[in-house]
Amino acid sequence: MKLNLFRLALKNIRSRRTRSWLTILGVLVGVTAVVALLSIGTGVQEAVLQQFEDIGYDIIVIAPMGATGQARGTMGGFMPGSAQGGMGRLGGQTATQPSTASSGGTFSPKALGDSSSGGDEATAQDLEALRDAMRRAASTSLDTELLLTQVPQLIEAGTLGTQIQPIETATTSGFLRVSTPSLDFLEAFPSVLGGFDIERGTSFTNTTENQVIVGARSAELLEMSVGDSISINSIPFTVVGILESSDQASEEEEADDGALSSQGLAQNLGTGSSTDLVLSGLTNTDDSLFVLSERASEVLVSRAMSAVTITRVEPGASISEAKDAINVAIGLQESAGSPISIQEVADEIQGTLSLIETVLASIAAVALIVGGVGLMNTMYTAVLERTREIGILKSVGARDEQVLTLFLIDSGLMGFIGGVLGLILGSTLSLLGSRLLGPSLGVGSFTPIIDGWLVSGVLVFSFILGALSGVWPAWRASRLNPVDALAAE
Amino acid sequence: MLVLHDVHKTFLMGETQVHALRGVSLELPPGQFSVIMGHSGSGKSTLMHLAGSLDVPTSGRVEYRGLDLTTLTSRERADFRSSDVGFVFQKYNLVGNLTAMENVALPLLLRNTTAKQANGQALEALEQVGLQDRVAHRPSKLSGGEQQRVAIARALVNDPTMILADEPTGNLDTATGERVLGLLRQLTDDDKIVLVVTHNPEIASIADLVVYLRDGQVESHHFQEVAR
Repeated sequence: MKLNLFRLALKNIRSRRTRSWLTILGVLVGVTAVVALLSIGTGVQEAVLQQFEDIGYDIIVIAPMGATGQARGTMGGFMPGSAQGGMGRLGGQTATQPSTASSGGTFSPKALGDSSSGGDEATAQDLEALRDAMRRAASTSLDTELLLTQVPQLIEAGTLGTQIQPIETATTSGFLRVSTPSLDFLEAFPSVLGGFDIERGTSFTNTTENQVIVGARSAELLEMSVGDSISINSIPFTVVGILESSDQASEEEEADDGALSSQGLAQNLGTGSSTDLVLSGLTNTDDSLFVLSERASEVLVSRAMSAVTITRVEPGASISEAKDAINVAIGLQESAGSPISIQEVADEIQGTLSLIETVLASIAAVALIVGGVGLMNTMYTAVLERTREIGILKSVGARDEQVLTLFLIDSGLMGFIGGVLGLILGSTLSLLGSRLLGPSLGVGSFTPIIDGWLVSGVLVFSFILGALSGVWPAWRASRLNPVDALAAE
Repeated sequence: MLVLHDVHKTFLMGETQVHALRGVSLELPPGQFSVIMGHSGSGKSTLMHLAGSLDVPTSGRVEYRGLDLTTLTSRERADFRSSDVGFVFQKYNLVGNLTAMENVALPLLLRNTTAKQANGQALEALEQVGLQDRVAHRPSKLSGGEQQRVAIARALVNDPTMILADEPTGNLDTATGERVLGLLRQLTDDDKIVLVVTHNPEIASIADLVVYLRDGQVESHHFQEVAR
């Protein structure tokens, strides 16, 4: 009997083709929006969390306290010293003022993040502020050997120094970030530097020569190849390797300084705390040069900007207890720093992403509700139009609940069809969107998550939405007096 | 036997009470071709609706084969219509987006009958009214006479015991009207109650029982011998 009612409802939808499609379209738009936004949102979340998982949830980063603000501004890319008013991309900020001096190594202290400096020209105060920031940052590094003995939960610890150095090549000059990991650090924490995978050339071969490994985008920007010479702080270095790009974005963006940085969505979402520092310092290898700390300490020592200590917690040990112990150790070493676990950073980012996702899903839900209202309107009009038909059905023996069911199936089916089509369209859009959005969000290519829950949820929800939208009109239809209904024109 | 005991039916039209039936008592025996005549507004259609349990009286009783129809619930009345009553209306009242066969099968589809079974029975009913070659046509593609025959086939498909027809020839030409009446007349051979509501005296001339209604009351009723 229900099957017969289903057939009758389907027949009715087909016979009122235009109106049915217009109604279905309303639901389709809503479902498409929900599917696309949810699948992209979940996909982005997964991709971002994957980045953290790659680094490792057993990692605790100790960011130098007091250097945070300075460091934020200095973690970015190359600032060309040559003319043409180059725009330097600086860890989320874009320096737009033109360089003022002639080619051959012009500094841009304002671009280094010192917000106190004013005017377009570099001043003596700017340079002094920069030096001051460097001194403060350099004073915060911890003794990692001592730290390992003070905090029993730690199994590994290393320091990653970061400096801003004047760079000069055959064709250009300017400032660039130079990271200074030790050989031990590279062995213990490659994940912290995005795997530190060499695309061309080799890794460091010794600590006695001036060797430099160049990040993918820096290599592109500086037009460097393996074997080329580069002057860092006026000291000649040889490029021994070029790193793999951290994501596809850097390849696509080329050297477009105006484009969004590829430092990762996580970094773009940074909240300005030490999280930002950690993320910008750890996830972005594309814009950096790498010099072994053993070598840097001899030739580049005076320009240390910040030193981030990376530690790994013993498997099974409590991260929060380890953090507490680190805080005590920092006090004992009379140093300054703030430990933050990768888990905390991930949680913070995930919280932000979830909020964005919720807001977007809410907007999409409004579209879906509008579709539902459209469906209700259609069903209400249908009841008015089909009053006589309802009378006929009742005269041939249809029960009230059968009329109700017939109309509910009718509206539910339209909702369901809208759901199926919306699911298909939404999935297609999210797949296309992931390709377009991935690079600009800094997560490379990511896969939107369209799992069984989303599919079944959307289908069931759209059917229920359809049926619910039809409840009131259907109830009205079922309550019609057959004689009155038959008399309707 | 369909029996009406002192049946009253009052409608509220705005704030005005309209007394459609005022104390109607009648007995309609099976196997008889009964005709209810009267002017417009005399209450004949209302009487037919009450007889077919499409509506309930304001007071009084309607009994069919000993069952008091006025005590039935809405669902029971629907079931009663489904099993015992076949309606034929002046305006045919076919569902526009269904074919002739689907229209005829409709009463069966609302019961526990499979679509295949319903279509089989619908085809038989359509054959009975001579429309076996018009089964796939929608009402808009059928003539008035054909539509009325589809309506009769639909009224017969459940093999009801009572056929109630409201001005069944009202929209038909004379020849088609006679054919439709012939079909209805034939049904009394199966001991069915056939009740036709009309103001056409020609139909009354072929009826076994003629009831005249005036202002909601029975003015006269009489049996007559008709050559079959």
